[in-house]
Amino acid sequence: MQKKEQIEFKHITKIYGDGDPVLDKVGFSLFRGDFAFLVGESGAGKSTLVKILIREEEPDEGEVYFEDQNLLEIPKKDFHKIRRKIGVVFQDFKLLESKTVYENVAISLEVVKSSHKETSDLIPNVLSMVHLLDKKDHFPNQLSGGEKQRVSIARALAHEPDILVADEPTGMIDPESGERVMEVLEQINTRGTTILMATHDKDIVNSYKKRVIRIKSGKIVSDKEGGYDG
Amino acid sequence: MMAKFFKLGEPLKKERMLSLANIMVMTITFLILGLFLMLVFVSQSTLSYLEQQTQITAFFKDDFGEDQIVSLKEELMRDERVYNVEYISKEDALEIFTEINKDEPLLLEAVTANILPASLNIQTKKVEDLQVLAEQLNQNEGVEGVRYFEEVMSSFQQIAQVIYLLGFLLSGMFLFISFSAIIITLRIFISRKGREIEILKLVGASNSFVQRPIIAQGVFFSFISSFLAAMVIILGALLIEQTYFSGELIVPFAEGFTATPFVLGIATGVILIVSGIILGLLASKTAVIKYLKF
Repeated sequence: MQKKEQIEFKHITKIYGDGDPVLDKVGFSLFRGDFAFLVGESGAGKSTLVKILIREEEPDEGEVYFEDQNLLEIPKKDFHKIRRKIGVVFQDFKLLESKTVYENVAISLEVVKSSHKETSDLIPNVLSMVHLLDKKDHFPNQLSGGEKQRVSIARALAHEPDILVADEPTGMIDPESGERVMEVLEQINTRGTTILMATHDKDIVNSYKKRVIRIKSGKIVSDKEGGYDG
Repeated sequence: MMAKFFKLGEPLKKERMLSLANIMVMTITFLILGLFLMLVFVSQSTLSYLEQQTQITAFFKDDFGEDQIVSLKEELMRDERVYNVEYISKEDALEIFTEINKDEPLLLEAVTANILPASLNIQTKKVEDLQVLAEQLNQNEGVEGVRYFEEVMSSFQQIAQVIYLLGFLLSGMFLFISFSAIIITLRIFISRKGREIEILKLVGASNSFVQRPIIAQGVFFSFISSFLAAMVIILGALLIEQTYFSGELIVPFAEGFTATPFVLGIATGVILIVSGIILGLLASKTAVIKYLKF
């Protein structure tokens, strides 16, 4: 039985100013349960593609489909419902320094007006998944880089998203912490969540032997399982 | 424990000087508006009172008999423009004259009822009818002369108009300043909360989820200011009532109703608070539309 696409990028083109296109007719699909690395050098267009997926940017041409729905046709005022289905993790963690780990994760549930009981049931589960339950009352400045990134992942997971998009999640942390983050991502993937991870970390990509979508100068140059260099 | 992003009144802690300055400006705005409203109430009340006192006095010749005067009175009572007619006989006129001049015995000796004319005091419903009615009465052969206080009324109306215009302009100017003050405060607030707003967007917060607390901040500031101004107005009205004037004022635009200064002060206070909430809402919504890139 043929698998159905969960995410499909079709002929995505993005040009800033009068320069060369950052993305030039980029197209690929992700299926449910996939784990794919989006690799390329800095400036290749990886982050732009992630931003287009979450509507932080809009392409000059092309379409993006999420479960057969054209994301670009959804009114901006309604896009927040899609964002709840797409968990996003960024390189700089994006945590609130004045809130505890628990409170940072609870943000995801507060926006959907979850009850106190729902929140208190769900958050410990999510924190356990990222192995940070014992640090739920810590503040971000008391955590290592890797731990902060895992909090960010936990916050993204709180909505139980269909897909988790990680933009350089190991970019600002040491290799050992990066390993722990990857373990968490893999664990999430085995539970059925699709993962798309943009990275230029060769070691990570080579260690995990997943699907590798390579972007160079805004174009997809290869899309297959294997290492960073093909 | 739920995370709370925007605590009400947070700018008061984080930008204390700016927030206090804004509250002061807005309180002055509402105070001016409140004083203007009270002035409108009092002047309208005075105008209504003067209108009721306004009357034409028609003096009759000695050969115009009482029965003729009474007949004219009845005719005037049937006139739509007339509110009330009072007949002052020569004897009544002497009584009034004696009362007014009780400290002038020499003057009183020289005056008898025969000298003083009988008269009709005619109250009109509207100031505008005074002149026309006076001219009509002047045509009557029994009438020796007609007197009415048109000039006083006109002068008062003119002064009231000038005061209204000044008050309106001042209030408008300060309302605009307050409107801008709220927008500036919220702009700084939105700028400072950039990270929180970014994260909220990331985790799927709706526009209204993010906008609501920001708008609440604006309304909060405006409410505090209008409430302070309302308290000053109400306490001031109470002081006036207890010290200078404990009577009742005619409630303008509500015929037949009267109220003490304190009650009018409360009414003004309520209008101020409602205006404050509306101003806060409008300004906050403007700030959100202009500066919240969500």
